[in-house]
Amino acid sequence: MKIAVLSGKGGTGKTTVSNNLAALMTEATIIDCDVEEPNSFIFLKPTVEKEEDICVEYPVVDDLRCKHCKKCAAFCHYNAIIAGTLLTLPMKEICHDCGGCAIVCPESAIEYQTRTIGRIFSGRAVTGNKMVYGVLNPGELSGVRIINQVKKIVQNDPIVIVDSPPGTSCSTVAAVEGCDFAIIVTEPTPFGVSDMKMVVEMLRSMSIPMAVVINKAGLGDDEVYKYCHDEKLEIIGEISFDKTIAEAYAKGELAVDVSEEKRISFTQLWGAIHGIIEVTYDH
Amino acid sequence: MKLALCSTGQEFTSTLDERFGRTNYFIFYNTESSEMDVVENSAREAAGGAGGLAVQQLVDNGVEILIAPEVGPQALDALNRFNIPAFKQGIFKTAERAIAAWGNGELIEIEKPGNKGLHKA
Repeated sequence: MKIAVLSGKGGTGKTTVSNNLAALMTEATIIDCDVEEPNSFIFLKPTVEKEEDICVEYPVVDDLRCKHCKKCAAFCHYNAIIAGTLLTLPMKEICHDCGGCAIVCPESAIEYQTRTIGRIFSGRAVTGNKMVYGVLNPGELSGVRIINQVKKIVQNDPIVIVDSPPGTSCSTVAAVEGCDFAIIVTEPTPFGVSDMKMVVEMLRSMSIPMAVVINKAGLGDDEVYKYCHDEKLEIIGEISFDKTIAEAYAKGELAVDVSEEKRISFTQLWGAIHGIIEVTYDH
Repeated sequence: MKLALCSTGQEFTSTLDERFGRTNYFIFYNTESSEMDVVENSAREAAGGAGGLAVQQLVDNGVEILIAPEVGPQALDALNRFNIPAFKQGIFKTAERAIAAWGNGELIEIEKPGNKGLHKA
């Protein structure tokens, strides 16, 4: 069972929800797929047991062989090759490493070199959970390769909680792909609702069942409740806007450690998730 | 000498754009013939790598000098490789004025890249 936690808008509480859920179920694996800005490690303080670099390949043109026919540039969907009459110049940071340019090159003038785009850390969280997270190097265009590798590492784990990136970009799609269930963490503000709508659309197109957790409940307005009602989205939990949670977060501490009340509310959230998954998958 | 400028509109007197990769139009100007040509920037809507695609258009059109607001690091590297020097348009608000300023040697060559992927709307 793979459970994605995502939001659309950043800062609604993906990490708060995913990490506190993980803390209450130590047999679950937690993965942080927000590789552009991973932060689960701050709260779960893992002991890292293994590190691996993630590499991509990029094309290099052999100027002696290249006849500047521009076929490679015409093929490249990402415009990563600038083709002039005297110079054919691949831009390695734009390349998406598909390997197509070497295939279409009639002169066999393209070779590939390897570069590192980020790193994956595997270990055990202070809560006891198995934990894997990826870090994309600053300036890199896409963390999809890292996210896919993180997910491959945990593919056979029985329960995986996926702390996903914000938005609905390629990274989010990669994080959510293959998940059995998605929890949308939103907040009762116009921004929370607006960005959530895109997530709902994305999850529906991917046929992933979903439910909603409203964080910072009590703030803002009731638009999110109306939207969930209209779209028949089940609200399986609400986390009230509470200074003690914010204070714990700012110190890198988990909400379930703040008070028994918080622990109970996240335990109830697990109950609701179980319930909805049982109904959805009928087991 | 063929110059390229980044413009919001299609006229010589249109306001210059604040972006290179995602400028609305490129204005090409031939200093020998005083001929002007305008093309819509096909990189404008690119998901990523607009700077590279913009450089490709300059290369395709035989541009020898770029006058731009600023240029990102990857595009600047590419411009260097294609021997297209880039000059900062600076305070000059139209193609007409920037070209005159370039002719008078008033524009400064861009040697350091601006921030990458500014994605100015």
